Formats: sequence, structure tokens, C-alpha cells
Amino acid sequence: MAGTRWYWPLVWAALAFRLLLVPFADNLNLGSRPEVATPLTSLRRLAEGYWLKQSSLSPYTGSMYHGSPLLLIILGPLTVKRIESQPAHLCCSLIFVLVDFFTAMLIRAIGEKLMLTNCNNLKLLKPSKLVESFGGVDAADIASLIYLWNPFTVVTCLGSCTSPIDNLMVVLAIYGACSRIVPLAAFGWVMATHFSLYPGILVIPVLLLLGYGPDAPPPKLFPQKHSNGDGSLVHVFSWGPILQFALWVVIWSCYVLLLSSISLKGFDGLYDMLKKTLGFILTVEDLSPNIGVLWYFFAEVFEFFRGFFLIVFHVNILFMVCPLAIRLMHRPCFLAFVYITISATLKSYPSVGDAALYLSLLGLFANELAEMKFSFFLFCGYIGVSLLSPVMHNLWIWRGTGNANFYFATGLAYACLQTVLVVESVSTMLNHDRKLKKELKKT
Amino acid sequence: MEEQKPPAARKSRLIVRLGSFLVSHSAFVSVICCVAGCITLLLLPVLAKNTYVSENALMPGSANPMFSNQDVVEANRFVKDIYETGILKDGSGMEIARLIGKHMEDVGAEVYYHKFKYRNLQFHPLCFFSSIPRTAVPQNSSACTLNGVSPVGIIRAPRGDGKESIVLVTPYNSENIKLNEALSLGLAYSVFSLLSRVVWLAKDIVWLAADSRYGEYTSVASWLKDYHNPTFSSDSGKIGIEMCFEKTENHVEEQSSFDGAAYDDFKRAGTMSAALVVKVMDKERSERDRVDIYAEASNGQMPNLDLINIVHYLAVHRQGLHVRVGTFGFLLNSALLKHVGKTLQRLTRLAESLNLGWKLGVNSADFVEGTATLASSMYYQALGVPTGPHGAFRDFQIDAITMELSPRTSLTNDNGISSFLLRSGRLIEGVIRSVNNLLEKFHQSFFLYFLTAPNKFVSVGVYMIAFALLVAPLPIVAAALFSSTANARSLTTISNNKPTNSKPVTRSGSWNWLHSAKLVFLVHLWALIVSLLPYFVSQIPHTNSTTSMLSWSLSSLLILYLLTRLTKSYVEGYQWEVLKSVMIAAASIGLSLMSIINFSTAQVGSILLVPMCLMVRPLKQPIQVPIFPAALLKILNILLAVVAFPPASLAILKGCLRGFESINIGDFWEWSEFLWVWNSATYLFVALVHLPCWYLCVHILLHN
Repeated sequence: MAGTRWYWPLVWAALAFRLLLVPFADNLNLGSRPEVATPLTSLRRLAEGYWLKQSSLSPYTGSMYHGSPLLLIILGPLTVKRIESQPAHLCCSLIFVLVDFFTAMLIRAIGEKLMLTNCNNLKLLKPSKLVESFGGVDAADIASLIYLWNPFTVVTCLGSCTSPIDNLMVVLAIYGACSRIVPLAAFGWVMATHFSLYPGILVIPVLLLLGYGPDAPPPKLFPQKHSNGDGSLVHVFSWGPILQFALWVVIWSCYVLLLSSISLKGFDGLYDMLKKTLGFILTVEDLSPNIGVLWYFFAEVFEFFRGFFLIVFHVNILFMVCPLAIRLMHRPCFLAFVYITISATLKSYPSVGDAALYLSLLGLFANELAEMKFSFFLFCGYIGVSLLSPVMHNLWIWRGTGNANFYFATGLAYACLQTVLVVESVSTMLNHDRKLKKELKKT
Repeated sequence: MEEQKPPAARKSRLIVRLGSFLVSHSAFVSVICCVAGCITLLLLPVLAKNTYVSENALMPGSANPMFSNQDVVEANRFVKDIYETGILKDGSGMEIARLIGKHMEDVGAEVYYHKFKYRNLQFHPLCFFSSIPRTAVPQNSSACTLNGVSPVGIIRAPRGDGKESIVLVTPYNSENIKLNEALSLGLAYSVFSLLSRVVWLAKDIVWLAADSRYGEYTSVASWLKDYHNPTFSSDSGKIGIEMCFEKTENHVEEQSSFDGAAYDDFKRAGTMSAALVVKVMDKERSERDRVDIYAEASNGQMPNLDLINIVHYLAVHRQGLHVRVGTFGFLLNSALLKHVGKTLQRLTRLAESLNLGWKLGVNSADFVEGTATLASSMYYQALGVPTGPHGAFRDFQIDAITMELSPRTSLTNDNGISSFLLRSGRLIEGVIRSVNNLLEKFHQSFFLYFLTAPNKFVSVGVYMIAFALLVAPLPIVAAALFSSTANARSLTTISNNKPTNSKPVTRSGSWNWLHSAKLVFLVHLWALIVSLLPYFVSQIPHTNSTTSMLSWSLSSLLILYLLTRLTKSYVEGYQWEVLKSVMIAAASIGLSLMSIINFSTAQVGSILLVPMCLMVRPLKQPIQVPIFPAALLKILNILLAVVAFPPASLAILKGCLRGFESINIGDFWEWSEFLWVWNSATYLFVALVHLPCWYLCVHILLHN
């Protein structure tokens, strides 16, 4: 296991690499790339919102800022702070480096929890074959290293956008649920939903995690081997944490709304905030190009169909929530990964920051997904698309020899890749469960 | 899974069966595809179509030219003025600029003088693909001698709204003016003065008399940069134009009449629809006056084909000029090419005799000429370096060409020159009148094309076929290699299921390619470092190209050695088949990316890269084929590995063209420096796609 020996040096190297690149962030001009910064997460817009607020206007005046007022309080003062002859958002970039580190550590903690339960479950199922089957890699280390060294994460960290914070909140929710720290889980979930709305569907995996505990082989397998009370104890849905979670969610939501309303006092208030943040996400007002598929569609669609298609596109995500929840009920963490991937594909303002999150969560299941098909194809596809997208953008915007279709084609290819990734990983996971069952039958 | 496979394979859909068929016969398919690709490439001159003016609004030649003999007389007078000023007061660049400015003002144009600072093009990392140069200009411009001054005149269109303009550029050397430059200034002046009188003008006319003391491109590029960047009156670290005049002039009474401040503020005339760079050249005589069109801008970008079309149409059908585009002369005399052309001619005759309906009509001479022109067109696009000052316009999405006009007589023959000026003036007037009719920007015709003659082109839809055929085998072979190793592995794992050694074979299953991917990644990292090294090497003082080249190659080798030593334990346990398939995947991604950035580079690169990638296999590995093909394969492999090494291929190319005694170690350094300073993506291709691919191929060849 090369991972464990090299783990900490690699982590420090990743952080040092980021710090090394931070002074050149302005030269790289990542903050204006549509792949990196979306209207929701762009730090430039946040600085604009902060400036508006300083001049006693509502930060939502015009159509510049669409983020949370809490981010404005935390990050706003940092955007105006300038150190001599340094790039504009140096302080924010340093904070994002820290945030990335925390996220990686949380992912590692989640992975360790998962491995522990996996080990216990295997012990319960087949104590004799324990050593042989548990010969995989250290998935926790791999996942956190993937998060730290993924070029997408590095670009997001340097690109002056707030996606690292969104990602941290999502990971915080999953971690809290995994380790049964209910207030933390509720806090992560509420904040993530408040920042970018789509993590709202993660309530199902969080509840499952709180109710059943972390990922396990299907519950059907357990009674076969252990009909005594020991085995069945694992899979009883516990209502206690759920009620606690609901309580904490109410508390945290009230708290967040209260803070927001305090910070927006004197302006239009909470309703305006909800309209300008959540409404902005749901109605896809900003049609500037990004790597998603919605902007192109809504730029083309007739105005009177707009409402209908808005519903169709958003229901698309909700449509998949229930079937997947039923099928993958025994693997809530994996379910969370699938939800995040699906929403990253279909959300209104996607960026590579979302991809950074779900790719590292994919690393958590390295042992289960060892037999995944098309892995090489997907790898090449991701590299190809991420290189092709800036080139097509250049061709369209700067050279004028291409057009919007060129850029949209890469967005479409990217969506296809994500779909293939979801389909393949889910089917591999189900196959893995089947194989486990077969092995158990044999013995 | 294993039990389910046979029925699933039988029932699978057509596309899956087709795919598996292609993959299973990959060797055959790749040979067919490569040969077909090369043949298509060779046939491109035959497939060329005649050009046509696509935009209806242009209406070239529908109006009678107004450019008359009176204008020619005016032009001649102006030429004489300029030339005498230049001869009399040598070294007084400002004098000519002032003279031009004065004449511009006399015809009623708004005049200002654009000053620019000459900055040597230099190595700078992170400067590729940035359309807006972000480097701040150091504003210590006290020395006027470093500045070039180009007078600019703008005629406001009587029927326009000042939001669109057409640009006319005449480069001239202010320090040492030649007669041909004076003639081009005179020509532009006469057209300019005519345009100041016409009523039909709907777009403003900008005449830039570019001071080409430091190169034509520099002055035009810096003017365009200033034109497109906002200037504020507050950032006046710069000096007024009058100071430059003061320094160079001694005539106090003249200076008092010269109000510098009025000529100092930058005037604009809206977006530019098109730009014409006009140069008069003194070339070898032919029976007709001649126009040479240069169109290639940076990174293989071309202006809209309609611009070339109207110039060609007006020059040939209205003014009776001879139009030429760049051609490789040495290919015109190539015996091999003539032979191929004759064979093609015979083949098409045969085909026509078989079926009278076919009218292919391939002419041997046309084929040779088309090939020579196509090769030149492809070469200059692939180089990615603009062929003239028009290249600066394309970076701002403005269509521009350079017209080099050369008279049939000598430049001192007054009669010949007068008729030449009349024709050229009418040509320029006609082109401007056509562009003036344009409602939007040029968009109707092609941007991606090769020229095979002034009136023949190959569009992207046709030339893409050759490239696609060449590149298509890459993914197929990668898939074939990948699936074959996967099958082999699953067979071996089934056969010996016992845990032989306790050493953890970390990733099983489909993630096996990760080991090879690590190596490929490391090699690309090395290539990235190597590609950035010239920046540091160029910082070393007192070097010539040979020492720079040597230090570059030595430092690259050192880094390679360090990288391999450091990661020795990390990169092992890969199969060469998997390594080859990962390498091929990387190469095909690189090639297809490059085909979008600069098609010609990808096309030229793929001719070398694709056979090398496809054929490579370890020399020590025995093959199950007869001895002769096996030996041939080995020899070809070694040959390609030598030829495809970038410095070696450059040396061979140079040796073939200029004789082998002219080869120098520093050649490659000079070449890459040339590419780098012009921000050519070809440099990136060579360094980041070609070089790592070549290294991996050599690695596989030496694998045991």
C-alpha cells in the first residue's frame, strides 16, 4: 500500500502546490472561465455584491450577486483587502486552500468510517475468508488524495469561486451523518442547501445514514448467515436520530434565516433574498454559457414554453431520487455520490467544482468498483472534454471562426460522460452485491 | 458473466457487432485507413472547388470605377514629394510622417499620429492563446528614437454612423524609404483622396501609414492594440507627439505652426469590417501586372474566403491583373509529382472512357501546380506564424489580407507605372466599395480552407476526411490492444487462481491501465518542463543558438534522469500493450485537440505520429509472422523512431531542401525560438504531444 506511506507528504505537497500557484492566479485568469466560476459562485460577483452593500444598497440590486448573504459577511471584507503587488483575491484564495484541506480530511474520515463498517460486516458474513477478501486498497486515503490532486479541484481553488465552501458543506453533512453527529449533519445539510439548493436531495442519504448506519451489503444477506439477534441488530431503522435531525434542521434553518435577515436589514428582506438566490437557480435567468446543458436549451426555447420546460428539467432530477433510494437503500454513501453526480449533470449552473467533489467521492468506493467497465474510456473522456472545452470557447468567443454549437457540443459530451459514469458505477455496485451473494451461497 | 456472454454476443445490436468487428481486425483496418488517408491527402488538389462570392451584398464590380487618370497624376506627384523628402533629409523619419499627415488633412481627413514603442518580441511563458496581451508597457518613453510614428487619417463617411470602418494599411520604412514604398504610399493616398470625395461611402475609411522601421507587423499590431484598448487622458506618462517633432526638428518657425496636441489623441472609427494591406513590390517581370495575395494569420487562421474572392474577381475580371498566391517553387519541378499527375490523368481518362457520363477532367499540370500551392498554404498555416502585417488584424477577428502589387515594367518607367497605378487604384477602390456594401461582418463564406489556386479552394468538409482517415485507426487500435490484454488477463486469472505471491497486485480488473497511465503522465510532465525550459535558457547571457540548444537538451536529459530515478519504484508492473494503448489514447486526444486549434499542424504531425504509434512494438518481442515482414517491421520502427524525433526531422527536412552541409546544431533552437516568439501553437504541439509520444515509442521499442 503505497498510499499510506506517501499519504502525508502528498497532502502537504498538494497544499504547497496550491500556495505556489496562488500568486499566479490572476495571470491564469481562471476567475473568468465559464467552466470554473458560475454566476452563483463567482467571487467577482461577490465582491460586487459586497461593494453594493457597503454603499447601502441591497446586494441583490441589479443582477450581479446571487449567493448567500452569509458568504457576503464572511468573504466580503476579504475581497477588498489588498496586499501590495499581490493578486486581488489573495486572502480568499488562502481561505479556499484551507477549506480544501478540511474537505479532504473529512473525506478521509468518511472513508475510514466506511472501511470500518465494511470490515465489521465482512466479519459478520464470512469470518473465515476475511483476510483474503479484504485485500483492497486504502480507499479513504485514495479518495482524499483524489480530492486534493484532482486538477478540477486545483482549478476551482485558484479560480476565485466559492465552490470549495459548497463542497465542504456537502461533505460535512455526509460526515456528520456517517459518524452520527446529528447537529453537524443538520448544519452541513442546511448550509449546503442554503448555498446551492441542489444538495437538498441529500436529505435522503443523510436520513438513511442516520437510520441504518453506513454502507453495508444488502440486508437480505445477513439473516441467511446470522439468524440470531447479533446480525439483525445492524439493520433496524432507528427513529431517534431522525427526530433529532429534524429538530436540528429546524433550529439551524431558523438560525440561518435569522442571520440573513439581520444582515439584509434595511433592504428588501428575506423574500427578496429567496427570490434572488433560489429563484435564480430555479428559473435559469442567466443564460451565459457554461458546461451544463440548460443554458443552450433555454436560449433557444420559446418564451411561452419556458415555464413548462423549467418544470421538466428540474423534475428530471427529482424523478430519479425515489427509484435510486429504494434500490441503493443499503448503501447511503454511494447513494449520496449518485445524487451529487446526477445533480451536477442536470443543475442549472454547473462547474468543474461539482465534478471535483463527486470524483473524489467515487474514490471512496475504489474496492467495490474495481470491476468497473469503461474506466479507461471515462478517464480519456474527462481529459479530452476538459481540454476541448476551453479551446472551443476560444474558437467561439475570441477567434470568431466557431459558434455556440461548438462549445455546447463539449457540454453535451461532458453530460454524456457523467451519465455513463453514473450508469456504470451503479451497475458495478449492484454486480458487486450480487457477487457477494453468490460467494456466500457457495460457502 | 462468463455464462451469459455467448448469447449476449449473438443478440447484440448491429453497432456493437460492427465495433467489435473493427476492433478484431484492427491491423487490417488501420492499414486501410492510413493508406486511404494519405491518398485522400494527395488527391486534395483534385477535389478543390472553384471559389464563388458567397455574400450577395458584396456585389463586386457592379459599379464603374471612379478612379481616373487625374488621381494617377496626383499619386505620382505625391510619390515624387515623398521620395524627394526621404532622399534629401536622410534619417528624418518624422518629416515623411508629417508630409503624409499634411496631405491627409488636405483631403479633409481627421489626422493623428500614432506613436508606439518598439518592443522586441521575446520569450514569455503563459502567453499562449491569450488574445489580449496583458503585459503592462513600461512607460519610460523619453527616448523618441525608440518610438515609431505612424500617421493615421480617418475619412468620416457621409452616409455612415461612424460605427464601422475599413482599414487601408501601407507600410513604409521611415528611415530609409524606397521607391516601391513611396509608390504604395502614393497609391493609397490617391485612393484615399478619391474616397474623401465620393458620396456612396457608408463606412469610415482609416488609412494607416505604418512606420515599418521595426518591422511591419509590430507597428500594425501596436496600433490595433491601442485601438481596441481604452485609453484615458489621465495615464499620460506618455509624451505628446510634438515633443518627438521638437527633438528631430530644428525649424522653429515650422514648429510654431504645428499644433501637436490636436494630433495626439487617439481617434477611432468603430469596428473594422475588413483591412487591406497594400504594398508595391518590384518583382521579376511578367507580361501582366501582378497581385500576390497573402492571407495566413497566426495559428493557421485565415480571413473569410469572400475577401479573397472579391480581390480575385476584381483583379482578374475587371482590371486584368495576374493573381497569385504562395507556391512552393521546388515542388513545381518535382519529377515525382509530375509522374503522379500523369498517372492520375491517365487513370481519369480511363475512367472517362469506361463511363462517358463521368467528367473528372484531371490535368497533370494543374495537379502539380495545385499541389505546390496547397503545400505552401498548408505549410504557412502549420507554422502558425503570420505571413504579413495582416496577421495582426486576425487576432481581433478582423478579416485582412496583404496585397503585394508588382508592375510589369520597372518602377522608374513612367508610362508603365501610370497604367499600373490606374489598375491598382481601381482594384483597391472596387474592393473597398464591395466591403462598403457589407451589411454585417464577413460570415457567409468559409474561414477554414486551403487554397490550391487563387480561385480554387478545399473546404474544411473535404480536407477533414484525410485527417479523419489518418486518425481513425488510433482509437480502434487502442481499443483492440486494451481488450486483448483484458482478455488475456482474465484467462490467466482463471487458470491460476491460487494466490502465488503475497505481493499486492493493487488494482485488479479494469483499473489495470493505471500503472501505464502513471508513466504516460510522468512523460508528459517531463515534456511540459522541457517546453518551459527555453524561457530559462534564454535568460543566460552571451549564448548563441548552439550553446542554447546544447544546454536545453542537457538540462532536459538531466530532468528526465532525475524523474526516472525518483519514481522508479512508482512506475512498474505495466504491460507494453497497455502502455501502448494509453499512449495512443493520449496521442489521439492531442491530435484531435490540435486539429481544432490549427488543423494543418495536426495534419502534418499526424503523418509522422500515426504510423509511429501504430507500428511500435518491442524489438525483442518475437512476432508470429514470417521472417521478412517481421524484419521489415523492425526496420520501419527504427527508421520512424529516428525520423520522428523533432530535431532530427527538422534536420532531415532542412538537409533535403538546402543540402546537408547547412545543418547546424542550433537550428532546432532557432526554429523553436521563432515559433515561441510568434506564440505559435505548433510549438506546444511539438513539445507537449509529439515529444512525449516519441519518447514513449522509444520506451516501448526498448522494452523487454
